[in-house]
Amino acid sequence: MKEHIDTLRTACKDFEEDLVLYYYGDDSEAERGRVEGHLQSCLSCHEFLDDLRKLLPQMAKPKELPPMFWDNYYNEMVEKLAVHQERHAWWKSLFAPMRAWMLPAFGTAAVAALAVGLVISRGHWHYPFSQTQERIPQEILADTNQLEFFKSMDMLETLSSLEALDGTKVQPGNNHHG
Amino acid sequence: MNQAAQQDLRDEEIVALCQQGRSEVFEVLVRKYMEKAFRIAFDFTHDTEEAKDLSQEAFLRAFSRIKQFDGRSSFYTWFYRLVVNICLDHTRRKGRVIWERLEKETEGGTETVELADNSSLPDEEAIAGEAKRKADLTLEAMPNKQRTAFLLRNHQGLSIPDIAKVMKTTEGTVRVYLHRAVAALRQSLVEFV
Repeated sequence: MKEHIDTLRTACKDFEEDLVLYYYGDDSEAERGRVEGHLQSCLSCHEFLDDLRKLLPQMAKPKELPPMFWDNYYNEMVEKLAVHQERHAWWKSLFAPMRAWMLPAFGTAAVAALAVGLVISRGHWHYPFSQTQERIPQEILADTNQLEFFKSMDMLETLSSLEALDGTKVQPGNNHHG
Repeated sequence: MNQAAQQDLRDEEIVALCQQGRSEVFEVLVRKYMEKAFRIAFDFTHDTEEAKDLSQEAFLRAFSRIKQFDGRSSFYTWFYRLVVNICLDHTRRKGRVIWERLEKETEGGTETVELADNSSLPDEEAIAGEAKRKADLTLEAMPNKQRTAFLLRNHQGLSIPDIAKVMKTTEGTVRVYLHRAVAALRQSLVEFV
């Protein structure tokens, strides 16, 4: 195996990156001179570069494809572009009648309609919370002590109905609350 | 404008015409770059059909975004970026699947002769095939940025400044990616020395 294939050898660590750039011709004039000077005296870097020259172009060898493939590719692509354009044209035609001034005009009209709707429905639209508040007469709401009294009465009613459900009798006087 | 005249147009002129609504001229760009686009996609996927689909998707994306192209970079740099991004997205989506398929394909020896030199000795072909398989697997296992830099430089012949533009990074970073990719390849092939 060793006899048949030459692959990458170890290069001087300081020159490895420079050798890669040297191979691709991506180094500056000064770097090139430095690398060439080093290559004259360093066999392992020389061999490393030889290996790059042997291996890398082979790796880049493109897959051979028949001309028919490229004709099909092109025709398919042209077809796809036509379909894409048609789809795009459909969307365009949908919005074509809409002029530039129409969008803000429609926006303003929609906001105005919403405002009018809110004003009209003002007397009929309430939150559930505000409905329960309105059921309590204003005279009672004004006095917090009375409100507490009514709340305790509500609780007594609830207890009675619970007892009725259980079928148990509670002795009078046990229902008193502080 | 006839076809011959269209073929003579520079990329910037074609793009300008497309931006003005002459979208049929885009086909000139397809003709010009289809092979390069396909080859990049093939380097990433190792599959003819997938490479065709991905590169064609890149053309469609370029076509639909042509009005956004501001001319700050050349068309081909902009287009390469689209192709590379589509390929990278595809690679991320597929994950290890590509690698596994590549292993299977190379085990079958279908594409193992490319590294062979002019000699036709069967054992040399087998060794070269094994080296090629190793090299491909190393490329697959590389971080995406290293691999992209290597493929664009080694396989596509793009210059380092152009790769930097495609990858939206600095030239120094591209140099590092390139060196690391070559170093990784050397490591993977050390057993053949």
